[in-house]
Amino acid sequence: MDLMHHSSTFLLPTIPLHHRPSLTYALVVLNQTLPRFAPLLWKHAQLRLCADGGANRVFDEMPLLFPEEDASDVRRRYKPDVINGDMDSIRKEVLDFYRSLGTKIIDKSHDQDTTDLHKCITYIWDFAPDANKSSLCILVAGALGGRYDHEMGNLNVLYCFSSLRIVLLSDDSLIYLLPRTHHHEIHIQTSVEGPHCGLIPIGVPSRSSTTTGLQWNLNNTEMRFGGLISSSNIVVGEKVTVQSDTDLLWTISIKKL
Amino acid sequence: MPLFFPQEDASDVRRRYKPDVIKGDMDSIRREVLEFYASLGTEIVDKSHDQDTTDLHKCVTYIRDSASGLDKSNQLCVLVVGALGGRFDQEMGNLNVICRFSSMRIVLLSNDSLIHLLPRTYCHEIHIQTSVEGPHCGLIPIGTPSKSSTTTGLQWDLNNTAMEFGGLVSTSNIVKEEKVTVQSDCDLLWTISIKKL
Repeated sequence: MDLMHHSSTFLLPTIPLHHRPSLTYALVVLNQTLPRFAPLLWKHAQLRLCADGGANRVFDEMPLLFPEEDASDVRRRYKPDVINGDMDSIRKEVLDFYRSLGTKIIDKSHDQDTTDLHKCITYIWDFAPDANKSSLCILVAGALGGRYDHEMGNLNVLYCFSSLRIVLLSDDSLIYLLPRTHHHEIHIQTSVEGPHCGLIPIGVPSRSSTTTGLQWNLNNTEMRFGGLISSSNIVVGEKVTVQSDTDLLWTISIKKL
Repeated sequence: MPLFFPQEDASDVRRRYKPDVIKGDMDSIRREVLEFYASLGTEIVDKSHDQDTTDLHKCVTYIRDSASGLDKSNQLCVLVVGALGGRFDQEMGNLNVICRFSSMRIVLLSNDSLIHLLPRTYCHEIHIQTSVEGPHCGLIPIGTPSKSSTTTGLQWDLNNTAMEFGGLVSTSNIVKEEKVTVQSDCDLLWTISIKKL
């Protein structure tokens, strides 16, 4: 089984030059309060999308993260490349503002079968050349909190696109899928994340999971909702390994800096 | 609590909203807060030796074991605030508590949503309080795939429909009638939006 490496370098001020794996980041902003490190994610991303009301958030809240600067300057600097979605939340003034700056507007209001996040991931998938798909990593801000059915729909997107690296981020935590098809090495960036972590068997029970590098390691251990799930675990050291017979969600706390 | 009653004296509010029990591993409660409530007669149950279960798990266990002291003619329903948001691993741990105590009614509440389990052992009738909840809702097969779920009363009803993570999960659904019925071959999480009043 192949090894898959993970590292939260997108939370570092600068990504080390020879860091492997070398990834291309895209950022999707959903309609929740921007995390305090949103400008950092924006900086690392080569493609920035707002899903519908996420554009309101960038418009309203980016200037708040730069209180000493003029709001219009901040808004011009943090201009999304694309606004995608069913357009039922974005304010007209915000839509007009970004459209006038050249943002591509993709109106998917006819498509009520998928969530706004799903539409954005599909767009990025279609947009990225095949050669780059395995080095693509999609960072998502605003997927957690708010309406709980939305949060569950966003978690489901990770499972629907299990061959893509997608990271959900809030102020407190980050989450991504560890597909069962690989052994996983997670390199912990101790300056920005940890120590609280968890491995969550959402959607299907796990008959056997094994880890190293955690305070309470799993050793061929069964996990399922209604029984044991690994939450309130602690990262010990700088490398965690995970292998499992099912897709697991990895989550780790983000340090308040 | 005093912030909800800005026109009142904070100490008066704190005395009125005195918990019966404070329970858990005690690694977060401030000393001044602990002493304040202890002096008012709140029962303090220190479970700092037990690192195997979450604070919510400890509280639900306490309530279940104390239920003999409560009115047996009524069913017990545990309302939980603060289970969602914050650290995601803790949120999942709290969801797991309602899955583990599947024979108890436990409702997790946030400003935006409420969640409770619909155990597979029953057909369910959900009477929608339209003045305070809805219309956005969802049915989530959180722990195992569902081979067959059936509903009435939703915009997109399920009809012997399979649901699983990685495939169809019923989210962004809409409550259409004042009664929703659900039956399924597996435990489902029901969630509905709470109206901003």
